[in-house]
Amino acid sequence: MPSVGNMRILIAGVLVLAAGCSSDNVTVPRTGTSPTALDAPLKVLGMGSETARYTAEIAVKGSTAYTTTWGSRPTLGNKVDIWDVSGATPILTDSLIVAGASTLGDVQVSDDSTLLMVATERTGGAIVLYDISNPRKPVQVARYSTANTNPGVHTAKFGRVNGKLYGFLSIDPLNLTPARLVIVDLSDPANPREIFTRVIGNPYVHDTFIRDGILFLALWNDGLDIWDIGGGGQGGTPDNPKVLGNVRTVGGEVHNVWWFHDAQGGKRFAFVGEEGPGSIGSSSIGDIHVVDVSSFASPKEIGFYHVDGAGTHNFSIDEKNAVLYAAYYNGGVRAIDVHGDLSSCPGASNFNVQANITRCDLKAMGRELAVGLLEQNRGVYVWGVEWTGGNVYASDMVNGIWKMTPAK
Amino acid sequence: MLVFARDSAAQNVSVMAQAIPTITSARPTATRGNLTEAYLTQPAIMVHASWAGFTGIGTLNLEGLTLERGELTTGAYGEGYVDRRHPHAYVHELLAGRDVTATRDFSFSVFGGRGFAPFGSDDPMVRPIEKYPVNHHLSQVLERIVGVGALRYRKTMLEVGTFNGDEPLGPGAPPNLARFGDSWSTRLTVLPLNALEVSGSLASVRSPEVRAGGGLDQWKHSVTARYERVSGDNGVYGMAEWSHTDERDRGVTVNRLGSVLGEGSVCRAGAILSGRWERTDRPEEEPTLDPFRTPRPPSDLSNLGESRWTILTGAVSSPALRSGWLSGRPFVEVAYITAARGHPGGLFDPVARYGTSHLWMLSAGVRLHAGASGMHDRMGRYGVALPVAMAMQGMAGMQDMSGMQHTQPSMGSDRCRL
Repeated sequence: MPSVGNMRILIAGVLVLAAGCSSDNVTVPRTGTSPTALDAPLKVLGMGSETARYTAEIAVKGSTAYTTTWGSRPTLGNKVDIWDVSGATPILTDSLIVAGASTLGDVQVSDDSTLLMVATERTGGAIVLYDISNPRKPVQVARYSTANTNPGVHTAKFGRVNGKLYGFLSIDPLNLTPARLVIVDLSDPANPREIFTRVIGNPYVHDTFIRDGILFLALWNDGLDIWDIGGGGQGGTPDNPKVLGNVRTVGGEVHNVWWFHDAQGGKRFAFVGEEGPGSIGSSSIGDIHVVDVSSFASPKEIGFYHVDGAGTHNFSIDEKNAVLYAAYYNGGVRAIDVHGDLSSCPGASNFNVQANITRCDLKAMGRELAVGLLEQNRGVYVWGVEWTGGNVYASDMVNGIWKMTPAK
Repeated sequence: MLVFARDSAAQNVSVMAQAIPTITSARPTATRGNLTEAYLTQPAIMVHASWAGFTGIGTLNLEGLTLERGELTTGAYGEGYVDRRHPHAYVHELLAGRDVTATRDFSFSVFGGRGFAPFGSDDPMVRPIEKYPVNHHLSQVLERIVGVGALRYRKTMLEVGTFNGDEPLGPGAPPNLARFGDSWSTRLTVLPLNALEVSGSLASVRSPEVRAGGGLDQWKHSVTARYERVSGDNGVYGMAEWSHTDERDRGVTVNRLGSVLGEGSVCRAGAILSGRWERTDRPEEEPTLDPFRTPRPPSDLSNLGESRWTILTGAVSSPALRSGWLSGRPFVEVAYITAARGHPGGLFDPVARYGTSHLWMLSAGVRLHAGASGMHDRMGRYGVALPVAMAMQGMAGMQDMSGMQHTQPSMGSDRCRL
């Protein structure tokens, strides 16, 4: 029989363990907390269904939309769906299979609407370039894959600097190989040429944004970097960038960024997406952070937008009307008013103890204009969104593509 | 001969080698079809040495040579493998340390090197079922650069360890030495009866799946009860454990993974009948083109939801066959597996993934063994934290079991040894 002394020790041990069990910090439950829809949702015009594969990113050119696919459902996400979005309901007109790919991610149309770029991950990272002179019938012009694009191109963005087209590739880490940025010269799309690469990101570099010769890099826990690649006045070029500044936004996990140019020519704010841990199909975490970039050398976070029970992913901004549309995974699509001074918010400021900064709470400022898709009463998980041509399009991992009317 | 029996008052060297040629049929598995494969699993060489009060422990695990593709183990996950158990590091253990007996009732030990953090239950390699349980990564923390201190007072032991949080990237991949000390664990063990031990563990493991750091952290709990009694050629073993891991991002819990497991064995005249039941949550990750692999590190901190695995396994093993220094124990194992959506289920659908939610796994093989017996039957514990040594001290009132503790059998006579 156990002695009294040993039983005391056993009980003490159990109590210690129980104390450990109850020492949890604030917990975000995976279930039970759901983002809610506003009274005035974004009006859905129609949905194009894709249920054989999980849908990933979206890119729209005129009346044609391209959506990539991802993962395994169990059908591999190696297909780009091509949609006719001229009507209210997107109609699948064609598709293309990216040979040798197991999962796709990013997709983008070049600013002159001649090229489509698709990023592949996992089975040897690559970008695949298509001529979309006929938007409904893309023709592959190049597949670019090197040792530096392995193990996968997480995102690929076009950027034009001094008239020349470049690709900015964010490469995944693998085992002992860290994440890196690769810049390729696409002035001859059939022959992409690497002009710059650097190990960067902690531990990831997830996305880039290029505008006016400035490169923004989403470096996860290293925050947001701002580089001069031709427009920063520091002599930077795409093959010899110069670092201008960095900001660590609250919570880190910097995933994507959009440098906002308003209709009045203001260029003060950039919006940063934080991609926290999620359970795809069920939950997500992560705020939108507003960064004052009026000084590239000393950018500062001045605001944020938070949704209980959901986190953000990619953005698109209607700059004329100053409305940011954010894909919010299980939180649908969020339309946020971003006009004016986002750093002035009497009665709607919030002090973050860890970062020791005061930020404006965009929701408390009444800037949330509308929420899309939650009123559909079906599970959604929105990867990407694009405002264009007076409509809002969303790619939904679970259901396919949605077309909505804008908030303004 | 693989045994060096150089015992003296101050010196003791023991060597043991083991391997299990086995054939497994998973019906179905991650390919959505049936798959049958053969391996040489768990090939290992273990060396224990003591000299002048110091003890050295080494386990060379050769699965990197024989199991690169992983061993079919439906439900298993970890280190970039799924539905296959990953091969372990070549340097499974390499530690040195010293036991000090301060008084009749009190002793302590300090060990350092690569090995197990003091957490949870014994390594599945030294337990009765050949197939690892799904909860391996919830209930053990291993192959880290560790410093482990243990205190023993009569029939109570307290271990505290610190280590690097990153799990191995592969059998030959080095640990991230810069991260040594970023994680810790502790385990309290009591022995209310000579055959029964109860332990509770806590661990804080930083970013195990992202070697550079920045991945999800783990806050782990475990409670284990273990019973073992041997008499002559007969013996009984039982173990029950509850383990739980909270995956956290900056202190906020984002995933909860739980496991309940019970297992037992009965040995009669050298034949062993074993059974195990477990229910364990598994985080689902996006597989690569190979459905048995997931990227390391993952490309972000999200998962595809959780699955819940309920597995009932039965095994029977004949008495060991001996030829000179080699012994072989044939065995057969059958596992019935149920996969279901966990909480949250995310995108996981067992029928979409496997074609069914009810699966089987059949295995047969021979446990080959050469050399010293019973030298590491409690893999995962070092120094005075070995309950056998403690039990012997408790029963016999012996002052110092150092030098003996690694050679004490935990399952009695060789006829009941796995």
